[in-house]
Amino acid sequence: MEKKTLITRSMVVLILISIAMVVSPAVNSLPNGIGYEQVKSGGCNCHNGVADTGVVVALDGLPEQYNVSETYELTISFTGGPSTDGAANLGGFNLWASGGEITPVDATVQSRDSSEVTHTEAGNDYRSWTVEWTAPSHGRNVDFVLHVNSVNGDGVQGPEDKWNRLSITVAGSLGAALDPADPFTVLATLIIISGILLVITILYGFYRTNPDAFDWEHLAPWITEWLTSTDHKKIGTLYFVQGMFFLGIGGILAMMIRLQLAGPEMGFISQDQYNQFFTLHGTTMIFLAAMPLIAGFANWIVPLQIGAPDLAMPRLNALSFWLQPFAALLIFTGVFSGEGADTGWTGYAPYIVTAGAHTGVTMWVAGQIMLVASSTLTGINFLTTMAVMRAEGMGWMQMPLFTWSILVANLMLFLSIPAFGVGLIQVYLDRTISTAFYDISAGGDPLLWSHLFWYFGHPEVYVVIVPAFGVISEVLATSARRSIFGYRSMVYALAGIGILSFIVYGHHMLTSGMSPTLRFVTMMTTMLVAVPTGIKIFNWLKTMHGGSLVYRTHTLWALGFIVTFTLGGISGMFFPSIAMDTHLHETYFVVAHFHYVLVGGTVFGFFAAIYYWYPKMTGRMLDEKLGTLHFLTAFVTYNGIFWPMHRLGVVGMPRRTHTYFITTEDFTNLPEWAADWNLFISVSAFLFFFSNFILVANMLLSLVRGDKAPADPWGGWSFEWMTSSPPPTPSFDWHNLPVLKDANEHIANEPGRVGKWFSRLMVPEDHEEVSH
Amino acid sequence: MSGDYDHDYHTPEPWGPHDWGHGAPHNSFSPIFLSIGIAIFLFAMAEAWSYGTYNPGNIPMILLGLLVIGFALFIWWRQDLSFDGHYEPLATGVPFRGVQIRKVGVWVFLMSEMMVFTSLFSTYMRYRLGIENCGTVFDRGMFDPATNPTGWQEGVAVTCFEPASHLIASSWWHLAPGAINTFALILSSFTIVQALRYAKMPDLDDEARRKKVYRYLGATWFLACLFLTLKMIEWFIGFYVPEISAIGLHEHDIISLVDEGYTINADHYQHHSYVDEATGAHMVANIQVSASLFYVTTGTHGAHVAGGIIGLSYMTFKAWKGLYTPNNAVSIEYFGLYWHFVDLVWVLVFPFFYLY
Amino acid sequence: MAHYKILGQDPYWMNFYGLMILTFIEVAAVGLDLSEFAADYDTTEKVLTLWILTFIAIPKFIMIAAIFMHLYGDADSGILTLTALFPAFFIIVMVLFVGLTHPDAATSLPAWCRPGYYEF
Repeated sequence: MEKKTLITRSMVVLILISIAMVVSPAVNSLPNGIGYEQVKSGGCNCHNGVADTGVVVALDGLPEQYNVSETYELTISFTGGPSTDGAANLGGFNLWASGGEITPVDATVQSRDSSEVTHTEAGNDYRSWTVEWTAPSHGRNVDFVLHVNSVNGDGVQGPEDKWNRLSITVAGSLGAALDPADPFTVLATLIIISGILLVITILYGFYRTNPDAFDWEHLAPWITEWLTSTDHKKIGTLYFVQGMFFLGIGGILAMMIRLQLAGPEMGFISQDQYNQFFTLHGTTMIFLAAMPLIAGFANWIVPLQIGAPDLAMPRLNALSFWLQPFAALLIFTGVFSGEGADTGWTGYAPYIVTAGAHTGVTMWVAGQIMLVASSTLTGINFLTTMAVMRAEGMGWMQMPLFTWSILVANLMLFLSIPAFGVGLIQVYLDRTISTAFYDISAGGDPLLWSHLFWYFGHPEVYVVIVPAFGVISEVLATSARRSIFGYRSMVYALAGIGILSFIVYGHHMLTSGMSPTLRFVTMMTTMLVAVPTGIKIFNWLKTMHGGSLVYRTHTLWALGFIVTFTLGGISGMFFPSIAMDTHLHETYFVVAHFHYVLVGGTVFGFFAAIYYWYPKMTGRMLDEKLGTLHFLTAFVTYNGIFWPMHRLGVVGMPRRTHTYFITTEDFTNLPEWAADWNLFISVSAFLFFFSNFILVANMLLSLVRGDKAPADPWGGWSFEWMTSSPPPTPSFDWHNLPVLKDANEHIANEPGRVGKWFSRLMVPEDHEEVSH
Repeated sequence: MSGDYDHDYHTPEPWGPHDWGHGAPHNSFSPIFLSIGIAIFLFAMAEAWSYGTYNPGNIPMILLGLLVIGFALFIWWRQDLSFDGHYEPLATGVPFRGVQIRKVGVWVFLMSEMMVFTSLFSTYMRYRLGIENCGTVFDRGMFDPATNPTGWQEGVAVTCFEPASHLIASSWWHLAPGAINTFALILSSFTIVQALRYAKMPDLDDEARRKKVYRYLGATWFLACLFLTLKMIEWFIGFYVPEISAIGLHEHDIISLVDEGYTINADHYQHHSYVDEATGAHMVANIQVSASLFYVTTGTHGAHVAGGIIGLSYMTFKAWKGLYTPNNAVSIEYFGLYWHFVDLVWVLVFPFFYLY
Repeated sequence: MAHYKILGQDPYWMNFYGLMILTFIEVAAVGLDLSEFAADYDTTEKVLTLWILTFIAIPKFIMIAAIFMHLYGDADSGILTLTALFPAFFIIVMVLFVGLTHPDAATSLPAWCRPGYYEF
């Protein structure tokens, strides 16, 4: 390609970015909030409604441009109006400055606060007054507003008295003052910039596919292909892009929250806005980042691992993806209207159905309904695929563990999400046509929502962690260059977690006043969860112990996962105990726990998955050095964020609260060191956020100039490594599907006693097609 | 395998119609349009109503959403219409080997439907058992500070659970729409299975099969519409019983549930039997929760019937074109499974919401 | 598709007749005055009706599922029945945990799991 065109195109991209930067700050997100409150805008109406130009006001002694922290003597005077010499009263004034400090010099003037002075009773008898103004140290412009009365001296307020106003701006060396930042403007700007960057990246991706055909005739069919494709690999990529994008958005939300919490009593985000921020953060991270990332890998890898050419119902698969971005639009309408959902991702009743909750809650609920539909369709598709499309010779107990984890996760999601969907529809109807499911005054039971939500919500949090288990099992087995230790126990542990997830959900409601019997039951069952999880941890350790570990980037992430997930699991064991939970409930200890399992578990697991399967997906190797750098920075800063939160939670720092107070006198407030730890957390959070750009850069750079990946770069032996990198479409030839052969075939295929009983229920082996 | 998946040799038709000779469609505009339509629809509905207050001006937006959804379904079915059974993937996985993959898919889908209705029934049970029944409150008698401190007072609304069956099961005529609906659904289950039988019958000539299949499917469609019509009559319209003295029938009006005051915002509901005989005082009740439960649960079932009507419309059209053959008749079975499930749910909804 | 007969007749028709008869019994049970029977069993008419209806719903369920939905008599009936029964456990859990519990205080617990019951 010619160099000239390249330069032109780079210029176009640069111009687009600059336009984006210029346009974005202009996006004003709030209909009701931003305006800089003009003190004194109402005017001095103590004597008459309107200002009178007959009163001529003067403020002398101000420089053109002030010197920082210098003191100036100012003279206030007026002429005109009803004020006549010899009368008892002549007039009064009020002087306000946006910066610096105004101090009286004699008894005719009194100070209201450091920015405002007015006359005293004795000062009523003058037409001019003198004050001192100490210039501020910030060097920004300072506004002065002076109001002066001219009175006729009869001592009675009336229309005969006149007043006027004078506004002066004194320049500072640094120019005009900055408006205080509005968090929603910042957020909306950042989201739009991210969106534009995403579009540019996508366009660049298209440009790289064929640099000589960068025009609309080629772009239109390319875009159409992506918008309409039902191929599991393309949909997997779409999910992946969506997941990464919203991981970034959720990260931005988290960074703004951390900015607010960096110091005590900060005023960046108000309580009302903070509610919307943590609601959006939770919703985005769980439903729009973690779930699509999982669905992306499941779409990519599951059909490859079981030897299926595609998913069972490809068009439904496309539908379950496309529901997600539009659901995200509905959920994010709140950011741009300023009335976003402020209910937390749990959306507890009865607040969620009251008019006190923001109007954006209805949109949030509508978006969630679409996500429920999406998850249901995904569940149908994946369960069917894994049940019916396994390759010849691959029984349930020959399925790779990642596929098993997706099977268990989808079963949990699929069977629990209808409860959430029904609850959401009830709330949607409550908020629109005024049904009364959660209306307390009509006898509605707010705990019903908690039950329906957590019947779904607890399986849901396992849905996002269980696939990470599968990833770690694959990665560790390959890296240790051996088969996973205790495959069967791994499968039973997964299934056990799946079953248990449905009967433990009450531990989210231990302090809610639900049925005490159920409280006991769920306390006991929750403690049981440690058993299958412990089995998995020990199996991973034993896999490494018996193997010979190769330290690739994905291995590092897997090892990091085991450490952080175990820590998160241990902190989780505090909560099932009702007594302990009553103390720790709604504190940062909870925040620390679930971030340890969700970030240290799910996100680390899927970072491992990215490093592990990226060569298979793109045909390009990732840079190991950048990967190691990413791991080191992210792992250290991650622990810097969430480890201190345990301590903060134990001393009682409440979650879902926009600020905190420090004092050593009052025992209900936090000790002074809490502020230091919060600052430390915020700094770590920003470092963690930016360290993940190493991953993004690594992926993009590898796409451009990475080494070509072989079919099996890591020495894995499941089916996906037998296709080329990237795999063809369809992934396997329908006429020549792969067959799984086992060295111990006679053992593997011999059913046990239960298996024999089940096989009587199954379609006979010789029945190639069931005809009706 | 009977499928042919040589994707690479034909151009994709994302708008349909699809050439099934080359395997399943691997491009479709339907999913993205369906998603856009649903998003517009839910957005507009949320804009249109706020706590029972209608905000005018949102009807065009709602219609636009429905239009986009309809357009997406049109694309979907335009691709499907030419499906002749040439591509009907069969399971290879061990326990399901040989079963049609999409049949397993429908069964898996029914698993989630079971959970949907379990959630609704759990809500029902929680409220039914957790809130005191209005009849029990009434039977306690009127309030008296000395003798009956827990009784009800005239003019003070009691929050209690008032099942719709108190109105519906009060007479044969009130029950008639629900009872007819029960028969209609069972009859429609039967007609759709007959349609399947004749579509599969290999020794039938094409014209005879076409007639049998589209008539049975059309009958199913008609019965489903009858179901919804009777539901509307029962909820909103009511009906009129003429005077036929020969069989002892007296002229009277059957008032619909809404006209009886059984509505989701009924905070001063009064059933005609809640009158104190001694004083003639009326007991009024806040029954918003029970009414919400009744309308939403039976309404969810009704929505499933409505969805079935949309699907049946397409299938009847396809049958009328004579496009169902023994090779692709199993598609009727997939819809039939869903339809029988809706019937099964009614078997539970009817006793618990209409009779008890 | 059914490969069997009921009483020598077509299974779909027979099933249809059976369902119709059961539904007639249901409507009759609601319409008839059963209060005398109910008094014999020491219960109210409403409860008796509900029991009758529940007991009739079970065969109706089985008839529709087995014959109309082909969960009986086909090569794939066994495995599809297992699929259909899979959610049973989760349905029971939801009914027990969501449908049949109520907010309450710890005082509603039996004495043996409340403080002060055990002497140490």
